[in-house]
Amino acid sequence: MKRILLLLLLMLCLAPIVIQDRGHLYFMTLIMIWCVFAIGYDLVFGVTGLLSFGHAAFLGVGSYVFAFIVIQNPALFPLAVIAAGLAGGAIALIVAALALRLSGIYFSLMTLAIAELLFFAASSPLRALTGGEDGVTGVPRPRFLGLDFLDDTKFYQLVLGFFALALYVSLRLRNSPFGQALKGVKLNEVRADQVGFNVKRLKLAAFAVSGVYAGVAGALLGSLMQFVNPQGLHWSTSGDVVIMTLLGGIGTLFGPVLGVVVFEVLKETLSSYTIHWYGILGLIFIVATMYMPNGIHGVLVSMRAGLVREKKP
Amino acid sequence: MKFAVSLARALVGAAILLSQQTVHAQAPKDAFVIGGVVPLSGAYALLGTSMQKGADLAVEQRGKVLGKPVKALWEDSETKPQTSVQKANKLLAGGVSVLFGDGASGQTLAIMPVADQRKVPLIVTTSAADQITGSARNKYTFRTSNLAFMETRMAAEYVKKVGLKSVYVVAVDQPVGRDTWATMKASLTAMGVKVAGEDFAAIGSQDYSVIIDKVAKSGADGLFIVTTGADTITLLKQAGQVKLGNKVKIFGTGFLDDDAAMAVGPDVVGVKTVARYHFSYDTPTNKAFVEAYRKKYDEWPNAYAGHAFDGINWFMDVVEKTGSWDSEKWVAAFEGSTHTNSLFGPRQMRACDHQALGVGLWAEAVKGTAPQPALMLKVTDTFPPAGLFPDCPK
Amino acid sequence: MSVVLIGLSIGMLLFLLAAGLTLVFGLLGVVNFAHGSLYMLGAYVAFQLVTWTGNFWLALVIAPIIVGLVGGILEYFTLRPLYGRDAAYQLLLTFGYILLIEEFIRMAWGVNFKSLNPPPGLAGTTEIFGSTVTDYRIFIIGFGTLLSIALFYVIERTRIGIVVRAASVNSAMVSCLGIDVGRVRTGVFVAGTMLAAISGVIAGPLLPLKLGMSFSIIIDCFMVVVIGGLGNIRGAILGAMLIGMTRAVGQQFAADWIFLLTYALLIVTLIFRPEGLFNVKVRQA
Repeated sequence: MKRILLLLLLMLCLAPIVIQDRGHLYFMTLIMIWCVFAIGYDLVFGVTGLLSFGHAAFLGVGSYVFAFIVIQNPALFPLAVIAAGLAGGAIALIVAALALRLSGIYFSLMTLAIAELLFFAASSPLRALTGGEDGVTGVPRPRFLGLDFLDDTKFYQLVLGFFALALYVSLRLRNSPFGQALKGVKLNEVRADQVGFNVKRLKLAAFAVSGVYAGVAGALLGSLMQFVNPQGLHWSTSGDVVIMTLLGGIGTLFGPVLGVVVFEVLKETLSSYTIHWYGILGLIFIVATMYMPNGIHGVLVSMRAGLVREKKP
Repeated sequence: MKFAVSLARALVGAAILLSQQTVHAQAPKDAFVIGGVVPLSGAYALLGTSMQKGADLAVEQRGKVLGKPVKALWEDSETKPQTSVQKANKLLAGGVSVLFGDGASGQTLAIMPVADQRKVPLIVTTSAADQITGSARNKYTFRTSNLAFMETRMAAEYVKKVGLKSVYVVAVDQPVGRDTWATMKASLTAMGVKVAGEDFAAIGSQDYSVIIDKVAKSGADGLFIVTTGADTITLLKQAGQVKLGNKVKIFGTGFLDDDAAMAVGPDVVGVKTVARYHFSYDTPTNKAFVEAYRKKYDEWPNAYAGHAFDGINWFMDVVEKTGSWDSEKWVAAFEGSTHTNSLFGPRQMRACDHQALGVGLWAEAVKGTAPQPALMLKVTDTFPPAGLFPDCPK
Repeated sequence: MSVVLIGLSIGMLLFLLAAGLTLVFGLLGVVNFAHGSLYMLGAYVAFQLVTWTGNFWLALVIAPIIVGLVGGILEYFTLRPLYGRDAAYQLLLTFGYILLIEEFIRMAWGVNFKSLNPPPGLAGTTEIFGSTVTDYRIFIIGFGTLLSIALFYVIERTRIGIVVRAASVNSAMVSCLGIDVGRVRTGVFVAGTMLAAISGVIAGPLLPLKLGMSFSIIIDCFMVVVIGGLGNIRGAILGAMLIGMTRAVGQQFAADWIFLLTYALLIVTLIFRPEGLFNVKVRQA
């Protein structure tokens, strides 16, 4: 698994040499940032089995925290990212503490309600701080180690680094005792509790980690677009990450990545070819739900299994 | 697992290759390319598609700029500032000569820094927020259309002319709504007009009945509206249903146009507004434009199309006159330039803040006669530029 | 006093919106995110019918039937295979519906705003408690009341209602009794769809018809449904009234606090009575 990871990252690292178009690099950077968000989200959704509808809250809060710090001084980028991650994790803990008192759809609706509250707070009452709907413009790109990351290529490599880290941490977490425990919670919560795991604490931890991922993603997003606004807290952002993870294949390492890539690329390419891209995307979702219960990852795995079977003499 | 990942990588690579072939991504270097970031979906879809139509007509009529073909590349900003920034960056990375857009003021404010950093001119023909040529202005952003300040000036003149004593305001709970009201309030207070009440409604409000009731009971003789898009229609529709227009004079700044009037229905007759543009405005250039537009699109041009056409044309004129591909020269030439060929009569681009100076139109909603729309605006007053614009910032 | 009346009409509209959603969730266990899109479709179809026939009442009857058919087709072919699967898949599926319906409306009616007007008989106004209230809003209150009574009666007192409720609790047993559970489910979904469409037609004369109007109301719907209790008609009415009154009174006296109040109500409900403020059955948390 680690070898595959390294190969993938090497390929991405060399990509800017092949792909000269800065627009494409920008797009790929955007995809990688969403991947970080989705990978973190999958820890809660795919691995632990909790359907959170409010993950945008952590992304959004992270982006604002990041913006406030880095606007003071672009060299504070590393500090700002860490702060964003911590903020995301902290909010995630609070949300989880409140929402985990409920289960099933009520849990999901609670996460949605809290995220909506934060969205509204950022848009209206706190507008003096957040700039309201107009958001915060002029978020600088990082400037440290003598490098100015306004250059899209350099920023791409920086984000690639975060993406690699996100994948690696996720890989280790999934295979760790903590990850196994989470999977156990998803499979059978009562049994896990009986065996002696502190289910509540496991869930809270999963949320917190996921929140850190989201906060970092929010920071990177703000840095990429040089702009932060309440859209990051909106329910459609939460909805997007659920869809991307589902499409790609929940509970797997690369599933969320596949989901993000397919979702974003579909949106980009479809909208270029036809003005009816909205409807076609809808059709794709419907078909995917009905025939691809394990997402794209599941399809790939079964394709490979089919090939293996074919090889029998 | 390994295979799955390899296949995944192949898919990703294929996907990237595929997206390289789309027309949008490639901006040919031997053409004058206008990068348009406009809302083609979402709440302002009508606005964006109109801007696109107006700009496309201008480009089509022009054909060539600086001896090379001129073309427009369009990206949908989905009425979301985040998407605006993303698409603006995409266009800039692809190498456009000039940026055009966006729709909502929030979106435009978001992409202005991007244009500034990449040193590409940005032409604003729709967004009215004062900051665009005020506190947030930058060297590369130019606005050829109205700003909120001038529109509130006209509204204040209307209040004076009609002699309103007490005005109630209903504004959208957004920076542009609050800021516009703040400016207007100052004017009203200076004139000695009482503020009967203030209500800020969340954008997308479905039900204004309580607010309308408050207005009716407040004793105000005027209702000042600062809402946009669908909210205007909702508010006017519901106000019309209780015949609020009989009790108070309803007026606003740039919130009502022909399309909105049609959507409100017969109750809209009598409402007064700033008209950012009207197809009936009597200049030879406008007549020609309206004719060409109707021929191409089979509908009457609205303010978004009109201003887009005008602004793009102005900029292309400026570029031609410089005879150079150097965008710094374009910026310098645009400042202080006069658009003699404008749809609105001569307009001048102020160098100090990159705001265009021109006449202001005040209109009333009336019934139209075929082939004109059944409900439309009629221009009743034309204000000369003097006194309509804020002083140059120090 | 007039604030109360206006609050009633706001609440009634909210109830009409939410009734279908709560029904489908309570009896089918499906969270239909496309509920708002069906509402939008109902409004547009009614607009078209009124354009053709000039008769609002006809549209009120026929539009829900048409939209109900659409809902039935969607349910039969795409939703049925998914019963019992995770709620997340329903999210993805119904999100697909949303996009599809939005695109269809865009193709058929374009991006311009459309207008629906109250029928001639209800275009007037009445003076009550010193305020001018449109006859149409009074009609909404009356219509909503009748509809809620009808729904209540059907679900609680008729055989169909008993069958539907039984199927939601123990479908295997119901099918053993010889009842086609699949058809029952489709029926409930169609009913929910029709309710959504009806609310679209009723709300139409108050708003501009535009793409994306589905998104404007979806959060409101969920609030009513959660506060009232998922699956509970009585709860939906009371929840809608509560929110309606809060909004009306809030707008009158403390406009800046409306949102916070309603969200606080939502969160408090979820924390202390997740089954809804007015739900009788205690749902397993």
